[in-house]
Amino acid sequence: MDVDMDERQIQARFVTKLNPPFKAPPSAITIPATVTRLGLSTIVNSLLKAGDPEWETQPFDFLIDGELVRMSLDRFLLAKGISAEKTLEIEYIKAVVPRKEEEPSLHDDWVSAVDGSCSRFILTGCYDGFGRVWKGAGVCSHILEGHTDVITSVSIINPLGIINHLLYSTTASKDQTLRLWKMDSEEGVDDVPAKIRPFKILRGHSASVGSVAVDLCTKQICSGSWDCRVNLWQTDVSSAEGDSVSIKKRKTKNGTEEPQLECFQGAPVSTLVGHTQQVSSLVWPELDTIYSASWDHTIRRWDAETGKDVSSIICGRPFNCLSVGGEGSTLVAAGGSTPILRIWDPRKPGTSAPVYQFSSHTSWISACQWHSKSWFHLLSASYDGKVMLWDLRTAWPVSVIESHEDKVLCADWWKEDCVISGGRDSKLRISSGVPVL
Amino acid sequence: MGVSAPPKEADRLKTTVDENARISDEFDSEGEASEGSELSEVATEEGGGSSGDEDASTSDGSGLDDDDEGEKGGSGEEAEARGSSSDDEDASATDNDGLDSVEGSGDSDSERSRVFEESDSSEDELLEIQLEMFPWSGTRMSHILDMTLKGRITKKERQDKLDSFLANVDDSKNWRKIYDDYNDEDVELTKEEAKMISRLLNGKAPHAEFDPYAPYVDWFKWDDAIHPLSNAPEPKRRFIPSKWEAKKVFVVKYVRAIRKGLIKFDKPKEEPRFYMLWGDDSGAADKTNHLSYIPAQSQSYQGPVVSISTEVSGEWIASGSTDGTVRIWEVESGRCRKVWQFDEAVHYVAWNPMPELPILAVSVGQDAYLLNTGVGNEETQRKLGELLYVEAAKVSDDSNNPICSWIQDDEHGGIKLRHAKTVSSVEWHRKGDYFSTIMPADILFLLLFSLAIFRLYASAFYVALTCLSRESKSVMIHQLSKKLTQRLPFKLKGIAVSSVFHPTRSIFFAVTKKNVRVYDLLKQKLIKKLETGLREVSSIAIHPGGDNVILGSREGKLCWFDMDLSSKPYKILKSHSKDVTNVAFHRSYPLFASSSDDGTAYVFHGMVYSDLNQNPLIVPLEILRGHTTFNGRGVMDCKFHPRQPWLFTAGADSSIKLYCHN
Repeated sequence: MDVDMDERQIQARFVTKLNPPFKAPPSAITIPATVTRLGLSTIVNSLLKAGDPEWETQPFDFLIDGELVRMSLDRFLLAKGISAEKTLEIEYIKAVVPRKEEEPSLHDDWVSAVDGSCSRFILTGCYDGFGRVWKGAGVCSHILEGHTDVITSVSIINPLGIINHLLYSTTASKDQTLRLWKMDSEEGVDDVPAKIRPFKILRGHSASVGSVAVDLCTKQICSGSWDCRVNLWQTDVSSAEGDSVSIKKRKTKNGTEEPQLECFQGAPVSTLVGHTQQVSSLVWPELDTIYSASWDHTIRRWDAETGKDVSSIICGRPFNCLSVGGEGSTLVAAGGSTPILRIWDPRKPGTSAPVYQFSSHTSWISACQWHSKSWFHLLSASYDGKVMLWDLRTAWPVSVIESHEDKVLCADWWKEDCVISGGRDSKLRISSGVPVL
Repeated sequence: MGVSAPPKEADRLKTTVDENARISDEFDSEGEASEGSELSEVATEEGGGSSGDEDASTSDGSGLDDDDEGEKGGSGEEAEARGSSSDDEDASATDNDGLDSVEGSGDSDSERSRVFEESDSSEDELLEIQLEMFPWSGTRMSHILDMTLKGRITKKERQDKLDSFLANVDDSKNWRKIYDDYNDEDVELTKEEAKMISRLLNGKAPHAEFDPYAPYVDWFKWDDAIHPLSNAPEPKRRFIPSKWEAKKVFVVKYVRAIRKGLIKFDKPKEEPRFYMLWGDDSGAADKTNHLSYIPAQSQSYQGPVVSISTEVSGEWIASGSTDGTVRIWEVESGRCRKVWQFDEAVHYVAWNPMPELPILAVSVGQDAYLLNTGVGNEETQRKLGELLYVEAAKVSDDSNNPICSWIQDDEHGGIKLRHAKTVSSVEWHRKGDYFSTIMPADILFLLLFSLAIFRLYASAFYVALTCLSRESKSVMIHQLSKKLTQRLPFKLKGIAVSSVFHPTRSIFFAVTKKNVRVYDLLKQKLIKKLETGLREVSSIAIHPGGDNVILGSREGKLCWFDMDLSSKPYKILKSHSKDVTNVAFHRSYPLFASSSDDGTAYVFHGMVYSDLNQNPLIVPLEILRGHTTFNGRGVMDCKFHPRQPWLFTAGADSSIKLYCHN
């Protein structure tokens, strides 16, 4: 090689799992060792540009042996103990960075909860006691009226199977009740959002309800409360779906005249007792498994059938948020009254130590959420006003969204490539164009 | 002779001179002309005397005639010289001296020694013999005699520097030559002397043969001694009482008095022991392992937050401020949920310990309010509405004068309890039905309370007030369900400061400035009296087990009482530099905390063991800084979160802070 010895050179080959327009020629090329992520990205972009003159430059992230490159290449190889003699195989993926910041969706008060599981709608809960359904940035289609206190948690019951334009959702509030809502997705297309009354009120908690989760198959609901209990509720949505037309009829007939009469009172099917403090977050990923995080410093896994406490993760801090996902949908991510986001692997026997710890936040973590499709990506929101995107393959945040002016109280993924977050600045922020896949 | 009439100051020498003069009186009259100094006269007389003796010798024989002539000639010369030098003696002397030294530079030592011998003036024969030995003229000799007898030692003229240098350059032994100033001579050291000097300069013994490390010879015979070295009898001082110990009795008295608090000292001024080496500590919050988290809108307070109280589940926290507002905050997010505005400053807030009774007791001015917080579902609210309802103004009076009246207060949504005096604190019983209120004194006294300047003045008033009140009018116990009020049926010897109910049993702690009285409410009697020894108790907290009490005092001390152990403090912690404003125990963790006007809060580990033989373990853990002092007030209140190891502090800087472990 005719190079000056000041600068080491590395033989590298760029590979990718991305689809053809992103495929670079697989031949090995020589690159300087001091090149950083930006340099690698430039190289790949020029390679792609050589193959396709219409190529538009875009940022990439690079993986070597399954780890994201976050420093100069020679330092990375030195730190990881990888030989620079052999031809290096560098995998490139699209950089997970939001491309666009949408217009904020304004609320009347702090945004306390958000659910983006349905790709057509965003459901938010607010401190003014109203739930809101958004069709996009700044487009509010429905307002859910009924709660007498702050809404703490929201969940869409049928995010995937919207039949006859009927969207069911549930909200939990500090007025100790949960309410079920049913709305016509075709309504409220005009500027005026449609006002919806609950079709069912679930009473049974003796203190503020802090969290709610839905089993997508059976449409059952579980809710966690300050009375330390987890209650399971039957929503009758699945049965009601059969005669949804009649419900809709009844709804349209009576309309706004006596909406309270339409409300059915519900009672809990069963109660999971075991926590000693507030149940702050719930996840119901499978039919028979419920995860619950609590301020008593534990995350418990419950058998929904028997109501037994199967296993628990103990940490020294109160938990605020919980999410289950990642590899095989088994990794448990949780954050609490500490700036560290921790991830446990419950499949690992005999240890309760977290497998990953991410500590870039500077204040309490208020929300965390796995990406539904990716094994590696999750987001976290914190009281320091930042939403961070994480990749398990690196210890640094992949991206930091600092669009909020105050504490971020809730955050979620939406449509697999958007990050939605609400906070104390009374705004719902949508950061779109996050190329996770 | 003029000498025969000497001045008064003539001494013994003078008289001898006179005698000599009388002897030589008839012999010679040459000395008459001399009117010089006494000494010169003596010299002349002696000279004359010697000539007188000589005269006798001439009468004896003729063989010495030549000598006689010479001597006479000498004396004649002497007289001449004196005649010339009679008017200015000193000038002539120096002239002569100069002449002498110039001409007689070769004078030997023997001549000088002879001059000294001359001054003896007794051995005349010797003098004569030595005079004979010198073939010098009489004139010169007389000069020498004259100068010497005046008491001056003539010194050799030092050589010119250039000359001495030139002379020394050639001399190889020059380095060994020393000038002896005393004897006015140059001394040449021998080789042995030079070596001795070099040894002395090196700090060694001057003689080479001296052995500094000679073996020690113990000359005393120690073996077989049956008597002590000193056989002196025991001194008397070992049998009489010590004066110092007699003084010590008084010292002990003083120590006891100080411990009891009878003698008070001014607080020593505490200087800050540490200073920031690298500028201000604005970034200190990041470095400490504590998360300081200020709830939102807490800055909306206008005055200092004086009291906080957590709800039993830890979801809410209530706070009261001197600007007359009472607020409820959500702990998790720091959101202000509800605000009440009162006309007067709020003194105390207390949340009902029952979770199904979300009632807040507030003391404002002369009133104690029971407020419906609005937390909970409809049924709870309905129950509360029934509970917090008084049909008409109900006046509770034990005797002829009403002590407290229950009035419905629709403006704030609750009940107002109108007291006769300012209510300083409200405490709930654990079951949430009874609560106690404290009226320490008039509002005037309360103000004085807070002003340290008038403390002495105020305490004088307190004493007077104590003497007046025969029963405790300052502590009230109210029952919410029956809307009843009664006085504490015991005498409180002192001004009530605070009160608290036992966490498990029906025992009531009434705190006065000097001590704590523990009453059994069922048996209606005094169980115990805790002697604090403090100057002024400010706050009390009871361990959830009920057997341990901590008190905070206005001199910055914390007292831990183990009630099973003693009625005296088990431990006194002097931690704060200013008044302790509040003390708090954690409900489940082994923690307790104190807050102070110096702007800090201390967190301690306070482990109480169920084993009665084991004393409580107290370990200071953390100093929490973060509040700024405002008008001399720092942290006004501290409360633990009921379930988490978190500490809330309320500051005079109008903020509430939450400290978490990290």
